[in-house]
Amino acid sequence: MARKGNPTSAINANMTPMIDVTFLLIVFFVAVSQIVDRDLVPLDLPSPERATSVVSDEERVTVNLVPLQDGEIAGIVVGGHTIAADAMSDLTAIINTRLAGGAENVHLRADRQTKYQYIHQAITAIRETGASPRLQLVVNGDLK
Amino acid sequence: MITKGRKKSAIGLNLTSMIDVVFLLLIYFMVATEFKTAEESFPMDLPLRNHGQIITLDNEPLVIFVESAGEGSNDLRVRLKGPWEPVSSLHELSAFLTTNKAGGFGSGGLFAEHHPILIKPTNDTRWDHAIATYNTVASALYTNITLDEPS
Repeated sequence: MARKGNPTSAINANMTPMIDVTFLLIVFFVAVSQIVDRDLVPLDLPSPERATSVVSDEERVTVNLVPLQDGEIAGIVVGGHTIAADAMSDLTAIINTRLAGGAENVHLRADRQTKYQYIHQAITAIRETGASPRLQLVVNGDLK
Repeated sequence: MITKGRKKSAIGLNLTSMIDVVFLLLIYFMVATEFKTAEESFPMDLPLRNHGQIITLDNEPLVIFVESAGEGSNDLRVRLKGPWEPVSSLHELSAFLTTNKAGGFGSGGLFAEHHPILIKPTNDTRWDHAIATYNTVASALYTNITLDEPS
């Protein structure tokens, strides 16, 4: 039986816009992957009211105290290394290496519930570098 | 004049696949985007450690003890070392520091802007309480603030 109406057109997928967007995605991820700061561990930083803190964008080495429960810490992330919570000599050595590489500031990031004894241990280890870096105590700046 | 041959097809852009990908991108970024919190910092002087060398200070530092009494941002106890009027909260500490600040020529304040101030939290003091105390002192425009070893 003969069919009536227009003949069926050939099915063609237009790939041009798909390829355009795919290339845009590739460029985007290549660019972004170099910008993301892998030194920043997600932490619940202190948020003091009416903070007088300032933004610091200078060359730095970031020391992250990774929290456990009840104010304890699981370890320390610094310069792409994860070290034990009590490996203060390792912390000093890594910071020294980064300071020799041009960093001038040491940013200390810790969770708001972290016990001060761990903060002081880290500060002491930073002081032991002997290079007299500028220490920056990092806080959340969103609530100013 | 009559044109011979096949009719020209209408010029049109096939946007279907483009729209598909745009929606995929939109969903991806809505799900995966994590807004980074703005971070700021308090600069703190970090003098070199002098092993075994005693430094005499021209000015006796003002020592502030800090202790956590709970998990809330205001659940902390502060105390001054020395014959100062007692303070029990950061608000009172701020008032004390502001009142006793030497404001210039002819001022009766006790502490100059660069007067050394030591903050001594206990071992178990929460970091946000120590930082809140640091911020209170810095807000009173003192510049020589140090986080000391735990009391």
